[in-house]
Amino acid sequence: MSTLQIWVAQALVIFLTTESVGELLDPCGYINPESPVIERGSNFTAVCVLKEKCVDYYHANASYIVWKTNHLNVPKEQYTTINRTASSVTLTNVASLSIQLTCNIFAYGQIEQNVYGITVLSGFPPEKPKNLNCIVNEGKRMMCQWDPGRETYLETNFTLKSEWATEKFEDCKAKPDTPNSCLVSYAPVYFVNIEVWVEVENALGTATSDHLNFDPVEKVKPNPPHNLSVSNSEELSSILKLTWINPNIKTIMTLKYNIEYRTKDASTWSQIPPEDIASTRFSFTVQDLKPFTEYVFRIRCMRSNGKGFWSDWSEEASGITYEDRPSKAPSFWYKINPSHTHGYRTVQLIWKTLLPFEANGKILDYEVTLTRWKSHLQNYTTNDTKLTVNLTDDRYIATLTARNLVGKSDASALTIPACDFQGELVESKCYLITVTPVYANGPGSPESTKAYLKQAPPSKGPIVRTKKVGKNEAVLEWDQLPVDAQNGFIRNYTIFYRTVIGNETAVNVDSSHTEYTLSSLTSDTLYMVRMTAYTDEGGKDGPEFTFTTPKFAQGEIEAIVVPVCLAFLLTTLLGVLFCFNKRDLIKKHIWPNVPDPSKSHIAQWSPHTPPRHNFNSKDQMYSDGNFTDVSVVEIEANDKKPFPEDLKSLDLFKKEKISTEGHSSGIGGSSCMSSSRPSISSSDDNESTQNTSSTVQYSTVVHSGYRHQVPSVQVFSRSESTQPLLDSEERPEDLQLVDNVDNNDEILPRQQYFKQNCSQPETSPDISHFERSKQVSSSNEEDFVRLKQQQISDLISQSCGSGQIKMFQEVSTADAFAPGTEGQVERFEAVGMEAATDEGMPKSYLPQTVRQGGYVPQ
Amino acid sequence: MSQIRNQLLQLNGSADALFILYYTAQGEPFPNNLDKLCAPNVTDFPPFHANGTEKARLVELYRVAAYLGTALGNVTRDQKLLNPQALSLHSKLNSTADTLRGLLSNVLCRLCGKYHVARVDVTYGPDTSGKDVFQKKKLGCQLLGKYKQVVGVAAQAF
Repeated sequence: MSTLQIWVAQALVIFLTTESVGELLDPCGYINPESPVIERGSNFTAVCVLKEKCVDYYHANASYIVWKTNHLNVPKEQYTTINRTASSVTLTNVASLSIQLTCNIFAYGQIEQNVYGITVLSGFPPEKPKNLNCIVNEGKRMMCQWDPGRETYLETNFTLKSEWATEKFEDCKAKPDTPNSCLVSYAPVYFVNIEVWVEVENALGTATSDHLNFDPVEKVKPNPPHNLSVSNSEELSSILKLTWINPNIKTIMTLKYNIEYRTKDASTWSQIPPEDIASTRFSFTVQDLKPFTEYVFRIRCMRSNGKGFWSDWSEEASGITYEDRPSKAPSFWYKINPSHTHGYRTVQLIWKTLLPFEANGKILDYEVTLTRWKSHLQNYTTNDTKLTVNLTDDRYIATLTARNLVGKSDASALTIPACDFQGELVESKCYLITVTPVYANGPGSPESTKAYLKQAPPSKGPIVRTKKVGKNEAVLEWDQLPVDAQNGFIRNYTIFYRTVIGNETAVNVDSSHTEYTLSSLTSDTLYMVRMTAYTDEGGKDGPEFTFTTPKFAQGEIEAIVVPVCLAFLLTTLLGVLFCFNKRDLIKKHIWPNVPDPSKSHIAQWSPHTPPRHNFNSKDQMYSDGNFTDVSVVEIEANDKKPFPEDLKSLDLFKKEKISTEGHSSGIGGSSCMSSSRPSISSSDDNESTQNTSSTVQYSTVVHSGYRHQVPSVQVFSRSESTQPLLDSEERPEDLQLVDNVDNNDEILPRQQYFKQNCSQPETSPDISHFERSKQVSSSNEEDFVRLKQQQISDLISQSCGSGQIKMFQEVSTADAFAPGTEGQVERFEAVGMEAATDEGMPKSYLPQTVRQGGYVPQ
Repeated sequence: MSQIRNQLLQLNGSADALFILYYTAQGEPFPNNLDKLCAPNVTDFPPFHANGTEKARLVELYRVAAYLGTALGNVTRDQKLLNPQALSLHSKLNSTADTLRGLLSNVLCRLCGKYHVARVDVTYGPDTSGKDVFQKKKLGCQLLGKYKQVVGVAAQAF
């Protein structure tokens, strides 16, 4: 057959096959939904719809549908035949990630035929991404990471979105294998705030993370410093200097560093104090290192304000500190080899190499010096750790030093005793015995101890003294005995102390102590104390020491004196305050006020019951209330009736001037507290007046007594007027009126001056009557007004009640004030009372008998 | 404003290195004839006055940044063709352009937020795509010289 025929045959076969496959591929039905994605644990319902042609072809209908999941029949209870061609199945609580759900029919009622199949996917909707954070690795693009939340079991897309305030950037889609991070496609731009967030989406839902707004410069992880190098210093073996190159990010931010170091063999890092490297720098010197030691360093950096991330650690760099002289002398010993040569011996000196931290460098060699006792010096230098020398039998001192590049160590010394050394030991001497083990590789650590060949009691006792002395205790101290005086090991001390009269007390003290406190001492007492030091062989007393305990403890005196003084001061203050508060009462009892007659306010004379004046508290001059009421009596000058007795009394009045302690001011002056002696005017005029005419008694001092003392003498009352009587001269008509003693009317006006109610408050005076005495001085008028106004009712009542005042003599004011003229004495009788009676005014005094030229006090 | 200052410092700090990198990459005669070939004589460059008010300075800075942004874009495009191996130059040009773009954003935000200026009229330099190689190199050099000069003034002004 030709090729063409072959080709045609193949084409036919292919065509027919395709046709048949196409027919075979045409399903009999379909399932809806076709590619479901459901939430795990939820129910799912699918519907299988048969095509009509299949229903006819296979002689089947929906009731012949068999549902299978993963090739397993679904229980028929879960089927629902919808109609002739459709059947649904409900899968409950779908937990499988993927279910193959197939719709099958029994063709011809017998042959199971697959109609359609779907895959049911189940999963979860995406959770909100959390913990979104971004990092900008220097020189690289920004990468953000987040917590994607629970596994969705579905294809889930995470998209990182970013934008400026003025510009949006390209979305960054996370790769399926790294759903929790994304590297943006644009280069970072610093100093511009960017907002980023993550949006996640799958078939079951979407979610969005919180938005993050930041300046990328705050999220930078710098590159580590590079080219770290370490260099040492010949001058200082304890320092190393580090230098490095900073990352390029330094152009836009200042950096701070962490530097760590360790010795080469160590596993833990030490850190340089961060505050020492808190700003951009290029080098740093590390101090306090060990000499000739190798150290390893590393460094990292970040933004100095702490915002951002630390860089990775740099490459490690090593350095060795410079050498220093050996810090320790090597220990060495000797071996004496027996020598066959007489007088000489072979001595081998051996020692160990120093440890690195002791050598402080490379030991170049050792220097040995041998000194024969007080002479000849031999020097040897060797690199080895042993030296063999030939020595005489004398005693030698050997020294060994190790030397390195910087210097030599301290020398260690060794005594090689002479051959004939026998060890002359004496008693009571302290010897230091040292034993050094010698091993094959050299000497070991020596051990020393003190010893005595034989002990003895100390050659002298300890000297005790006081360190501190209190009222009931004393602290004693002493020095340890010098070794030469000990003669043995001091085992203990005994302290003996006593008073002059007391018994001695002993106290044992351990030898390690150098002070002791004596307690329960008596104050203000002399004590004698001494100490004894004891070795195994006995004791030795030291000298006696005396001290005296103080009477008072420290601060005791102050504790007593200060409170006492404060109490005294407080008491004094309280007393002063009390006295100040009660000053009135105290004054009343200690220094009572003495009324000044000159300042009394006498308003009315009253021979017996002087009217009370209710003095105003302010005006009341004599608060004691001794004398208050005085009325002015007009004495008729024409009265010729002689009364020798009266004259005498008048003389008394005239001659005697009474000083009432400053209170008396002559006529008119009154003093309630004055003596019971009568007072007379101190005015010369008045005296002359009285001398020229008969003595005129113008005042009567009525005294109620002082401090409950009843005066035994006659009491007098007087007016406060200080001017001589002038009324008789100036107003003759007044005298006329007065002469008519029987004419009550005429006398009334004048007598009305003096009327006062004994028990009633003082009535205001009749102004007209005062006008009559206008001729008198204004001060006298004031006196009258004051008298009228001042009511000493209590005193009047008192005087009235006590009956002490027998008689008041009234004197005409005019006569009282007018200069004394002959015949001015007026007689005043009981007209005033009558007048008072007639006028309705209360009677205030008893009438007096007044004779011409004076009056007679009753 | 602190971000704007930092940006200007950043630009000022890199301007000289960019300029040097550029004229070095152009080859002779540029490195030895800077005063003739790279003098900052850009006639249409937007003015910047350091002694104006903040608003005025920001507006001028915006115009400068906008002009520079496009101009540097042209230079970058040209250099990728003229000096495809000068990767450092390309990188620096790109980073400078990015920073200028960020500066534009900040300045606009500042003008809008504080001064309620929502729009600023800007100008751009001529397109160099039609010019010959030497002209492209020269214009680029002059631009970077001018840029170095202006950004220094601007960094001092803010």
